[in-house]
Amino acid sequence: MFKKFDDKENVGNTNIAKSSVQKGIRNQILDQFQHIEDYLDQIMPKKEPLKLVKCTEHIELLSNQAGEVLFFRQREGPLYPSLRLLHKYPFILPHMQVDKGAIRFVLSGANIMCPGLTSPGARMTNVDKDQIVAIMAEGKQHALAVGLTKMPTEEILSKNKGVGVDNIHFLNDGLWLMKPIK
Amino acid sequence: MAEVAEAKRNFLEYSGPKPGVKYPISVLYCGECGVPVEYCEFYPTYEKCKAWLEKNLPDEFEKLKVDKTPTVVVASGEDDGAAAETKEEEGEKKKRQTRGGKAIMKAKKKIEPQGIKLWTQTRGKKKKVTIIVGLASYEIDLKEASKFFAGKFSCGSSISGEDEIVVQGDVKDELFDILPEKWKIIDEDDIDDCGEKK
Repeated sequence: MFKKFDDKENVGNTNIAKSSVQKGIRNQILDQFQHIEDYLDQIMPKKEPLKLVKCTEHIELLSNQAGEVLFFRQREGPLYPSLRLLHKYPFILPHMQVDKGAIRFVLSGANIMCPGLTSPGARMTNVDKDQIVAIMAEGKQHALAVGLTKMPTEEILSKNKGVGVDNIHFLNDGLWLMKPIK
Repeated sequence: MAEVAEAKRNFLEYSGPKPGVKYPISVLYCGECGVPVEYCEFYPTYEKCKAWLEKNLPDEFEKLKVDKTPTVVVASGEDDGAAAETKEEEGEKKKRQTRGGKAIMKAKKKIEPQGIKLWTQTRGKKKKVTIIVGLASYEIDLKEASKFFAGKFSCGSSISGEDEIVVQGDVKDELFDILPEKWKIIDEDDIDDCGEKK
């Protein structure tokens, strides 16, 4: 989504979220991410207003007052956490670990293919289709991408072909390189 | 297929915060390429990253070196046949990459500061504007700079091009003092007076 994304070209105007909107977002986050509850106040304090940044392709970024992007979504879709947030709180998403050979391709924006998830170096969490996952890598501690599963884990195992997880946001893509929002 | 399924018998758990770990975790980002240090090796600037790490955080640099060896051992110890296979695969991929050259994104070139150029231009018969070019190459936000000039000189100031600010009135002499004062990266010698435009 952010492979060709530039904070000069693709970013529109910034708004401060109304408290009702912010409440809605909080509820959606709590809904989507099971384990976040205890830390949500730390991530986005209730008192602090959120910034909403409109971008091209109906992408909307949510950032805190410091200008750090916390979450993003496309249209009215699910909220994805940004990688910087995920690095701080890696538990909010289920992890999918790819093998070593796949890292370079993922880092240049490729979708995650099934064989990269089923080989000996890889490990998976048992999840359904259309679940947001963190892409981890063999021998590494931190996430390298945020993805959306295209088939359930069992199907990845049985089929072992084609795209298993869509690559939404990866290290050094346009969103990662974005400067803090004013 | 059964074989693969068996190798996968241990799924990861989606179990929430790990006990004993304090969140938020602080991640060490490379000063050169900006990614967590462990991923530097996948970028074309790896050599520079290593130099940066050695200079700024020698401890981490040592750790990275030490870390390397055991992970390789683990990988090959797990399943010798498969490891050899993946290695072969990697070799093939590398070959393909040199031909196609698509696998990894090129590092973006940083723009070198090119110095700042100042012009004046006559508007009407007796009024002047000052044109400032080159601020963006110092990674200065033009909007912010323009606002600053407007406030400082109490006059109109606008961004008129990609890297161009127009300030109303002849403020060239003041700029020589103010620019290095406001932005420490600018040296007074970098500022160039180019006289009158047109």
